[in-house]
Amino acid sequence: MARHPDTDLVPYLRGELPPAERERVARHLEECPDCKQDTELLRDLLGNLSHAIGQPPAVSWARYRAELREKLEARRAQVRWWRRPMPLAVSASLAAALLLVAVWGGRELSKSPDSLGPDEVVIGRELGLLQEFRTVERLDLLEDLEVISNLDRLASERQG
Amino acid sequence: MEPSDEALCERVGRRDEAAFDLLVSRYQERAYRLAWSILRNAEDARDISQEAFIRLYETAGSFRGKSKFSTWFYRVLVNLCLDHKRKHKWWKLLVRDDDDDRSDTILDRQPAPVNDPVDKLSREETLKALGSAVDRLAPRQRAAVLLRVQEDMATYDIAQVLKCSEATVRVHLHRALATLKKTVEKH
Repeated sequence: MARHPDTDLVPYLRGELPPAERERVARHLEECPDCKQDTELLRDLLGNLSHAIGQPPAVSWARYRAELREKLEARRAQVRWWRRPMPLAVSASLAAALLLVAVWGGRELSKSPDSLGPDEVVIGRELGLLQEFRTVERLDLLEDLEVISNLDRLASERQG
Repeated sequence: MEPSDEALCERVGRRDEAAFDLLVSRYQERAYRLAWSILRNAEDARDISQEAFIRLYETAGSFRGKSKFSTWFYRVLVNLCLDHKRKHKWWKLLVRDDDDDRSDTILDRQPAPVNDPVDKLSREETLKALGSAVDRLAPRQRAAVLLRVQEDMATYDIAQVLKCSEATVRVHLHRALATLKKTVEKH
């Protein structure tokens, strides 16, 4: 027997399956008593559901529409406020203020030196001392802080 | 001849107030009922369904008529409802209001009288349990069931509203109804 057409039963009951599928489900139901019983239960269930769900409390439709009108009007007013054009003087002042902030900020940024890393700060502090050592002249890069920090000791050993 | 929903929506896009009023009149009951079925609270249902109409007014210009107006509108509405539920979930956990507008008995909501009192009681209990079970379904499963049962929507349209495939809707419905069937079998 073919697989049970579980998910096809509701569309079958509503008569919305294409002819070939409807035929297939109908044939299955003739051969499968379980599915046939399920289909009958589903039919009853769907019939009872609208009663079980019930009806909402009554509404005065005139009042409903009046409320809706008020809400719609309030929403339109809200939209109008956002879309309202700004007076020319206010918008010009705002633009000038923004331009001022941009120019001033740009200047401040150009004045400030590139930020230094901690290594560079240490090297900068010790630059005078470092210049006394020939070893330093042969270093391509002042990257190895461990070597640099031991330069004092190296120099004294050489002198000794 | 009455103008179609789609034609009215197009006119709303051009800020035609009369067209908007007409669409509201056509859909107000369905929108409120569906929102209530998902939210289970009359005040929230009123607010959210009204919000859906406001969204309709604001975005009608973007409706291209590729889908039916009803599908497009229900998508807006269901999304608003699911968002609302998500946002208020934590609050509901703190302040459990069991809910809401269910003070009336199931019998009050029964259209057809039942003669046998025992049957009536048993049926009432079953329907009550079924109603509670629907409330406990996962949000998208519940939305799929409500769109099917209340709005009588086809699988294709439910898929459009929930923005998923038809196969997914079938699975949602199958799982939801399997859960509900178990509830009925217990009674």
